[in-house]
Amino acid sequence: MAQEVERYRKPTRVLHWVHLCAFVVLFLTGLILFVPGLAALAEDSWTRVIHRVAAVVFIIAPLVYMSMNWQATWRGIKEAFIWGADDIAWLFAAPRYYMLCDEKAMPPQPHINAGQKLWWFIALVFGAVFVITGLIMWFFKELAPAALLQWMVFFHDVAFIVSGAMLFVHVYLSFHPLMRPLKSGPWNSMIGRGTVSVEYAKSHHGKWYDEVSKGKKEA
Amino acid sequence: MAEKAILYDATRCTACRGCQVACKQWNENDEFIPEPPYTWDKTVNWGSYENPPDLSPTTWLKMEFREVEAGGKVRWLFTRRACMHCTDAGCVRVCPNGSLYHDESGFVAYNKDTCTGCGYCVDACPFGVPRSDRNLITGIAKMDKCTLCTSAGLNRLNEGYEPACVKTCPPDALVFGDRNQLLAEGKSRVQALKDKGYVNAYLYGEKELGGLHVMYVLDDHPEIYGLPANPQVPGTTVAWQSVLQPVGWAVGGLVIIGLGINYLVAREAKLARALPAKKKEE
Repeated sequence: MAQEVERYRKPTRVLHWVHLCAFVVLFLTGLILFVPGLAALAEDSWTRVIHRVAAVVFIIAPLVYMSMNWQATWRGIKEAFIWGADDIAWLFAAPRYYMLCDEKAMPPQPHINAGQKLWWFIALVFGAVFVITGLIMWFFKELAPAALLQWMVFFHDVAFIVSGAMLFVHVYLSFHPLMRPLKSGPWNSMIGRGTVSVEYAKSHHGKWYDEVSKGKKEA
Repeated sequence: MAEKAILYDATRCTACRGCQVACKQWNENDEFIPEPPYTWDKTVNWGSYENPPDLSPTTWLKMEFREVEAGGKVRWLFTRRACMHCTDAGCVRVCPNGSLYHDESGFVAYNKDTCTGCGYCVDACPFGVPRSDRNLITGIAKMDKCTLCTSAGLNRLNEGYEPACVKTCPPDALVFGDRNQLLAEGKSRVQALKDKGYVNAYLYGEKELGGLHVMYVLDDHPEIYGLPANPQVPGTTVAWQSVLQPVGWAVGGLVIIGLGINYLVAREAKLARALPAKKKEE
């Protein structure tokens, strides 16, 4: 095991997959509103019931995680909102790195790079938008003014478009040619034991690897 | 088929509410017993002959009573409250799967079987007409409103009958016919009212929302009768249907195409980099 570094702890991995499953169900049942041809699936509102069941999971899962891992939660939230020089460097290097697979173009990155930060930021902010607008539409349909409800639909759908599109990017990047071999890289960090190979850690998150290996020596 | 319409003459209406009864009877809509969240009391005397309190999934037509003071006199005004069958209908625009549509005579019809219960029409209607029997927890819902007696199996118009409300109206305050003819009839009645001294007399529905298929002969401003003076399809409806949905498709499509291109380019680049390295090893 010396050749591997822990990247995501088990609770984080469980939350990731539970939340993803909930999101995919919510995405597909919501997509029907954008695809008139699929509307036959939604007749008699049964997709609305599924949407609500998934919404409960979508809301409860992070709350359970937070209550049990509040330190990790706090660290994670800080990661999404604090941006620095590394992120600007990533931004300039990204086109060459992802299009031409030029690994030398990318300076060493911390625990999560700017692209991951952006996705994490979108997940947090638009997750909150989904929950707030969704709960208002669910429980205040009869009470709230029509104009407010219409804006809730609008922002719910803005969040749907942005986070839905970014989900494709997120899934795609786990297949990207640079991520090979998949087994010792991103897939193992989330699907497997939560670890990545030292080689992967050095090439993709050099700064983070230095911190982790230093910490180990001190300990 | 020519555009059809209903002409409602508020100055002839006696508020007998026969139309309300005929509407419920023909369309097999049971009585509506208000329950939360409509009201917390089952029956309350709130100082009016109006009943039931509001439109509902089973109350598609309701007469409203208003007491208005004008020139030292109290006037008791009656208004018909039901679907206006707009030409530019917010509900038709916003319905995600075309369950709401204009039928060949210009009315706003709907297919209840395909209704998904999203309730967008409820919020998009400038007149607050469509109602949904939505379950608060599960969200299971169907929208209902005036069908102008064209519900499947209960279609009066196809059989050559007038809508039930028109048929029953004792003082002929409701007339059904070709929209063009009724428009001329309504204009002449408004002119007659103006000649009598009702200077604010107005034919409501001639131009509103591209022309309504229920037009009102009024002897005063529409607001006095509780009708919006300048009804509009809400901007949010337009923003959702005409802007956000196409943007969503564009963003989704571009992202998927972009990722596909990236995969092809990056794979080639990676292979090109791997080849010289292998050669060196050899």
